Amino acid sequence: MNRLLAAALLAATALCAHAAGIVRVVTKDASGNPVADAVAYAVALDGTPQVHPPSKPVAIVQKDQEFQTYVTPVVVGTRVVFPNKDNVQHHVYSVSPAKKFEIPLYIGESSASILFDRPGPVTLGCNIHDWMVAYVFVLSTPYFAKTGTDGVADISGLPQGRYRLEVWHPRLAAKVERELVVAESGDSTQVVSVTLRPDRRIRRAPDAGGADYK
Amino acid sequence: MGIRLPQFRRFGTRLLLLVAGVVAAAQITDYALVTRANRRNAVDRIHENLEKGAKLFTRRVDSRLQELSGRAALMSDDYSIRQLFLTDEPDAATVRSALRSYSVRMGVPFMTLLSPDGTRIGDTGGALPVAALKPFQSLVEEAAAADDPKAKGFARLPPSGPAGTLYALLVVPIYAPKPEIVAWIGLAFPIDHAFATDLKADAQLEVTFYYGASADMLPVESTLPEGTASHVQASSLDLGIVNAEAGGQTYVTAYRPLLPLITPGHAAIALQRSLRAELAPSLPLEHFLLILLIASLAAAAVVAAVLSRNLSRPLRALAAHTQVIARGDYATRLKLGRADEIGQLAGAFNRMSEGLAERDRVRDLLDKNVSPEVAAQLMRDGGALGGEEREVTVLFVDLRSFTRLSESLPPREVLSLLNRYFDRMSGIVEIYHGIVDKYIGDAIMAIFGAPVAQHGHADNAILAALEMQSALARLNAELATEGRAKLSFGIGINTARIIAGNIGSSRRLNYSVVGDGVNVAARLQDLTRMSQFRADILASASTMNAAKRAYRVRNLGAAPVRGRDEPVEVFAVEAVE
Repeated sequence: MNRLLAAALLAATALCAHAAGIVRVVTKDASGNPVADAVAYAVALDGTPQVHPPSKPVAIVQKDQEFQTYVTPVVVGTRVVFPNKDNVQHHVYSVSPAKKFEIPLYIGESSASILFDRPGPVTLGCNIHDWMVAYVFVLSTPYFAKTGTDGVADISGLPQGRYRLEVWHPRLAAKVERELVVAESGDSTQVVSVTLRPDRRIRRAPDAGGADYK
Repeated sequence: MGIRLPQFRRFGTRLLLLVAGVVAAAQITDYALVTRANRRNAVDRIHENLEKGAKLFTRRVDSRLQELSGRAALMSDDYSIRQLFLTDEPDAATVRSALRSYSVRMGVPFMTLLSPDGTRIGDTGGALPVAALKPFQSLVEEAAAADDPKAKGFARLPPSGPAGTLYALLVVPIYAPKPEIVAWIGLAFPIDHAFATDLKADAQLEVTFYYGASADMLPVESTLPEGTASHVQASSLDLGIVNAEAGGQTYVTAYRPLLPLITPGHAAIALQRSLRAELAPSLPLEHFLLILLIASLAAAAVVAAVLSRNLSRPLRALAAHTQVIARGDYATRLKLGRADEIGQLAGAFNRMSEGLAERDRVRDLLDKNVSPEVAAQLMRDGGALGGEEREVTVLFVDLRSFTRLSESLPPREVLSLLNRYFDRMSGIVEIYHGIVDKYIGDAIMAIFGAPVAQHGHADNAILAALEMQSALARLNAELATEGRAKLSFGIGINTARIIAGNIGSSRRLNYSVVGDGVNVAARLQDLTRMSQFRADILASASTMNAAKRAYRVRNLGAAPVRGRDEPVEVFAVEAVE
């Protein structure tokens, strides 16, 4: 009986907490086109909300000699594994300040799971396949969302209060932030203009062999 | 505008000057044109080579940088260098040793590692990386903003101080992975003597590198001999290709600034080619032409001399021959043995001699047939017909009883005697300025006062008659000693107006006189036969009146003259008074 009550209370609290609504972030670049793979997040200006990393590690799959997810936003403390679904080995690494690691050449599921314990962007690469690149964006706020191809990210569960809304993208040219006040009721939409650097990813050559080195 | 050419005494001089002048002009023009063309071609070739040299230098620098960039890219994409970045704080010693190892792989003298914000992560050590830090940092700024994240430039390291070398600098990114730039590598290679020598070997040009903290640039490296390269002003770089003096030689020079220069000041490269070196291959030809010029002038002089001698000798011979002709020698012929115009001239001279000789013969003949005066007039008038009226004195002298004489002598002796007599008498006529008109058998008809007019023609006739008398006496004395019979004659003289001129046809002429007066003279001469007159010389009154001197005469009164109505007063002339 007590357990049931506690659960109901928790649920009610949770419901109360989520009751504040959704902030829809619509991103546009300099030409007015939607920006995919941008992470929109809200940093609370009053207080520090708790982050709860998922219990199961997040997987970034390598298949067809590519990282299958380009941008993976996670909260601090998340563990990430890098399953290799290819028949060649990969050597995943990063030298980003937020996380420096390497998983030397392996195939299949690697036991290594990497703990991302610092906020910030982490660039992933493969030491033998120069064209493979992906990003993990480690956040210290639980309120974030990634834009799809439509350039829209819905940040949900924001309690009332003041926030700083920021947008991050791998090719972000200039910092994007604005103050956001989440009201008691309703959703809001934020249209954000993002300036991006040109996309300089290597085009991988057809199976003939070598990649297109610049 | 007429140009008065100087005249020379010798034809040879003129010819020599002309020939020599033409040859000299041609050869000198030729020489001048060839040397000018050589020089112009040399300069053009040098210009071409300088352009090529400048391009070659740029390409060499670029290709070396390209090569380094390629190697750096290989390196930076490689796992090994990423190891340095996997630790949060790579230790300085490890970084330095790794970079030293990489710099050997790359073949560069030093290397610097910079973070994306430009701070130094590490370098290969020594003064150079420290000196290069600021230039690398400015290159990193430039590269980060560029589309292709690379940047290059020139720098003098160290930037200040007495000793420094020019370097070409390059920064390339380290990706982890592309397009994430995690660091920058700064590389350099020296623009040193080896570089200059290589460039010289390929471009065949002298190479000098200049640097100056101010606009006055000093040579830093040069392939020219020690000390010949001089300083250069930054403003000269705008001049294009110029001639520069170095070490006493002229060099055609192209200056190019070394850009971009990251350290302060000015840097430039000078590409030069010695004009003398470029001309060297064509010098033998020019020398040969010079020799040819002198030789052909000499040859021309010789030819001119020979030619002139060939001409002036026969001309002198011709001139000498005219003297011969002038002397009256029409018999000598000039033999030159030439078929050309000079030979033809000699032939003409000879024909002239012939002509003159012929004329002489005719003249001579004429002279013998007529008195010299008539001959002269004939030659002058050309034997024209027609005459003139004038007053003359006509004298007839006839041998008496010549017929009888001629019967007693053989014909040849008769002629000889006659001619001897005629010779004496004709001579006297001529002495007294008369002319023998004709010989009529044994008579002589003489005219005084024609064709050359004379004032004292009457006196001359009378005196001539008296002289003839004396001469006859002398002749008779000679004949007496020869045992021959003596001669006697009668003379008739009359003065009258007559017509004098060439009488006859156009083909045969005789200078004579016609008129009544002639007739009278002849009749008077006839009258000397009349013994009652006892006179050998009978003159008419008109003669006596015309005479100016006094003579001892006997007036014989009027005598009838056949063929005339009126009688003529006749005088017997005996002597001069």
